[in-house]
Amino acid sequence: MTSTEPAILAEHLAKSYRGRRAVVDVSLRVELGEAVGVVGANGAGKTTTVEMIAGLRVPEQGRVRVLGLDPRRDRARLRQVLGVQLQQAHLHHALRVTELVDLYRSFYPDPRPTGELLDLVELTGQRRTSFDKLSGGQQQRLSIALALAGRPRVVILDELTTGLDPAARRRMWATVERLSSEGVSVLLVSHTMEEVERLCDRVAVLDAGRVVALDTPAGLVARAGTSTLDDAFVALTGRQLTEEPA
Amino acid sequence: MTPLVQARRPGPRSLVTLIRCEAKMVVRDTAGLVVPLCLPLLIMLTSASGASRTVVANGRTALDLYVLPLVFTMVVAIIGIINMPSFLAYYRRSGILRRLGVTPAAPAMVLAAQAVVSVLQALVGIAVALVVAFLAFGANPPADLGRAVAVVALTMTAMYSAGMIVAAVAPTPNSAVAIGLVAFFVLGALGGMFGGRDSLPEPLAEVGGWLPFGAAVEALSSAWAGIAVSTANLVGLGATVVGGAVVAGVLFRWE
Repeated sequence: MTSTEPAILAEHLAKSYRGRRAVVDVSLRVELGEAVGVVGANGAGKTTTVEMIAGLRVPEQGRVRVLGLDPRRDRARLRQVLGVQLQQAHLHHALRVTELVDLYRSFYPDPRPTGELLDLVELTGQRRTSFDKLSGGQQQRLSIALALAGRPRVVILDELTTGLDPAARRRMWATVERLSSEGVSVLLVSHTMEEVERLCDRVAVLDAGRVVALDTPAGLVARAGTSTLDDAFVALTGRQLTEEPA
Repeated sequence: MTPLVQARRPGPRSLVTLIRCEAKMVVRDTAGLVVPLCLPLLIMLTSASGASRTVVANGRTALDLYVLPLVFTMVVAIIGIINMPSFLAYYRRSGILRRLGVTPAAPAMVLAAQAVVSVLQALVGIAVALVVAFLAFGANPPADLGRAVAVVALTMTAMYSAGMIVAAVAPTPNSAVAIGLVAFFVLGALGGMFGGRDSLPEPLAEVGGWLPFGAAVEALSSAWAGIAVSTANLVGLGATVVGGAVVAGVLFRWE
């Protein structure tokens, strides 16, 4: 890792599953301290893209660097400074909240204190509740806390607020704003235009495995000649956010 | 262009935390905790009384030479062939290993923690059976303690190695349990779990002595009697260790 590298650099990524091209050509760059959103309809290639950036999948083409590190080759170094919240929470179902937090904290040299993490995602009252007894939203919040356990310098948040009620969603947004204010670089995958408009400096619009636009929220609106980001998305992709690509 | 991050793997403290968590998972899985400890114990209780009065050789009784080796082997086999693979298949299926894959923890840490917890659970099962056998039925200690301990260690390694084959080929936790159960009963049947290998047809009895269950029972019995463990038993157990490691190494997938 070097001091002059961007937080995330993805160049011409491509990935197929059983002959189906999930990601055709995705390039994006997240500068240090920047928050970049990734939006797209279901099947647009968002999750595959972030999984390649996180090192969970190997791109067939293109290259990825996170803080200058190769996610596969420099795995051990990168994992110390990268926090990842996956789309679905996958945790030991019978462990309690504090046990899970303490387990994930133990992986890092300088973790955030357990109490601070639980306060951050408002799970202090559930600290003795086992993971399988948490609601979907609480499981999501715990997953986010674990992604932040190691004081990451870059976080990847995939469907950050899916499953959360409106109040919890706004509290989670405040958490991301706090991370941004601390200089943490954020890559946020979202289905909610309101979310990326509020949290992200720039937004990448994905459609059928390609980046069709990458600009500030205001820039996307201006480019599409619409009045809202929702309408801009429809104008840029020709589909609604919930629509499957052909 | 100065590197700013040192590669630093989680240390022993992290492994201890993971082992503690794996142990809690096992303790909170009631069936997984109780069956490997209680089923062999129940089998011992049903046969120990008569067996403890039948002296076979070297002052050792049928309880010492037949029942205890069978009970120990059952404890280790249930944990190694059924329980551990089902945990690993669950972790893989549910994405827990994938989630750990985005942390500094190597997935192999989970394997190590599972192995440690499985060994501890097996030792508890063996200890409980031994205490009951000594206190309630007057069982005798092994004539060659060191050899008996070595055979138990080899048996554990062989059973966990066999369990890794199950974990490698089973796509789901349920299939891991199913495959593990079938393997356990087949190996057990050929290894004398249902009435002694000498009651089996000769070819099957011969095969059973080479397979890990029968080899373990016979090797433990020899160690208890203070006689040399047969080469066939050692080769059978050793081949299981090597074969399991190779097959699992080729077929096992973290995702």
